[in-house]
Amino acid sequence: MKGLRKFFKYDNVGLLFALPAFLYMLVFVGYPILSNIVLSVQDVTVRNLAKGVKKFIGLQNYAVLFQDEVFRLTIVNTLKFTVYSLLFQFLIGFALAVFFNQNFSLAKPIRGLLMIPWMIPMTITALIFKFMFSTDVGIINYLLQSIGLIRENIEWLTNPGIALGCVIFANVWIGIPFNTILLSTGLTTIPQELYESAAIDGANSIQRFFKITLPLLRSTIESVLVLGFIYTFKCYDLVYVMTSGGPVNSTHLMSTYSYKLSFEMFDYSKGSAAANVLLVILMIVGAVYLKITMKGEND
Amino acid sequence: MGEEKKLSTKKNILFCILSLIVLCVLLFPLFWIFITSLKTEQEIFQYPPTFYPHKLNLKSYAAQIETGDFNMFRAFANSFVISFGAMLIAVVLAVPASYAIARYRFAGRKAMLLGFLVTQMLPVSVLLTPMFIMFKGMHVYNTWGSAVLADATLGIPFSVLILKNYFASIPKELEEAAYIDGCGRLQAFLKVLVPVAKSGIVVCAIFSFLYSWGDLAYGMTFILNQQKRPITAGIFNFMGQYGTRWSYLTAFAIVTIIPVALIFIFMQKYIIAGMTSGAVKG
Repeated sequence: MKGLRKFFKYDNVGLLFALPAFLYMLVFVGYPILSNIVLSVQDVTVRNLAKGVKKFIGLQNYAVLFQDEVFRLTIVNTLKFTVYSLLFQFLIGFALAVFFNQNFSLAKPIRGLLMIPWMIPMTITALIFKFMFSTDVGIINYLLQSIGLIRENIEWLTNPGIALGCVIFANVWIGIPFNTILLSTGLTTIPQELYESAAIDGANSIQRFFKITLPLLRSTIESVLVLGFIYTFKCYDLVYVMTSGGPVNSTHLMSTYSYKLSFEMFDYSKGSAAANVLLVILMIVGAVYLKITMKGEND
Repeated sequence: MGEEKKLSTKKNILFCILSLIVLCVLLFPLFWIFITSLKTEQEIFQYPPTFYPHKLNLKSYAAQIETGDFNMFRAFANSFVISFGAMLIAVVLAVPASYAIARYRFAGRKAMLLGFLVTQMLPVSVLLTPMFIMFKGMHVYNTWGSAVLADATLGIPFSVLILKNYFASIPKELEEAAYIDGCGRLQAFLKVLVPVAKSGIVVCAIFSFLYSWGDLAYGMTFILNQQKRPITAGIFNFMGQYGTRWSYLTAFAIVTIIPVALIFIFMQKYIIAGMTSGAVKG
């Protein structure tokens, strides 16, 4: 008892404050991660779930998965989805951040309003874009026709060749605010004098952008891109609601396919294995993020 | 920031107009579903489309109160209960934890911090099946409880990471003064530090609420009972059954957005604070 008291006398009293949250996460997140790994090397489907017999089958689920053409396609789709989403979110977000950092009177209120898309539940965003992209009532087909870009209605979400592009379009819309606001914050930390003295030295605005803005914004850009990658790579609801992976699997991501395996085909073990592959890739990228974030914690 | 360059009046007006155009383009989807939700089903399918409802139709909203396979307002209440519960758990657990991480160098502190960072990056599909099996065992499957317990895991890590910066920025002297006045650790924490960190706690509460409000995967997987499902899962269901009832669907969308819009209108500064500090290292 005395030893315990002594242990908690100084810094370790912090443990008492931190443990409840930590234990909660351990039970509801830590344990599921472990049990997901166990599940992925067993053979658990809806038929034998209730019986409680869980046969160990080693890495067979993974082997079957990598033979599965659809799963291989989902890896490619997930990469495409992530890279294109990030590219456009970042470029548009950056352009808007630079624009709204000009000191005009409406800059702050309007930049604030632009944050709204980011807060809307993904299910709703998916519904909105499903409506706008629909073939007959969709406003996008109407607008493109009225400016003469297309003659006939395009079947955006039922054409395997372009459905993924539509999903990416919707995801870019969601991601722009996040990029804009983080890059804006980064921009405000660059001292104005730097630009002024560079201007005196005769640097034009393009030179100033590449020689001052970009280098000084590097750490912000890094964290925006890495975080963006993580959020996009694991994205699930948007695609699930908008297309459910279709048509002919052309928009299935690793996350949606894993859900389908587990909760539509009730092959829990294979679904777990797919989720774990997704997790491994995320953790590799996550390591970069952790390196950035934990830098300040080495005291 | 501080001393910013003033723009010339001409440039100012030009930029204001440009920014309004950007706003209209980017928020058009929201305007469009709002308008659509006020149209009759007939007018929605009309060609060319109308840009304001020629015949105002509020039935899509009203019909949900009386009948319908999907009772929007019950689903709304379900979502509210679930999100509020998850928010409470997240805030109550995260506030002391973030204080500890900011103030004390206790054994295992770094490992804990790492744990919270990692959980923020997890894909939901990794947790779904094990949680599903676990909740069945705990007999919370098919109740609000399952979604509350699962949704809280979204808010906790975010809140811990944000709040630790708030607590770290509070001067140590404030706490020491409380000790001199005879407060214990817990008392000093509750009476002195929590009130000072209030705005940070509001940020965490808002985001924890919004994360749960937007959740689909947990609510859909753990609650099959239509009477108890959150609104996102209900809408998804409805889309599967009546894919093209756009007047109803857009009305559901608007109702789901209302709380988000209200939070945005009244608490915008907290949201911007949360978005920026959530990602930039502290």
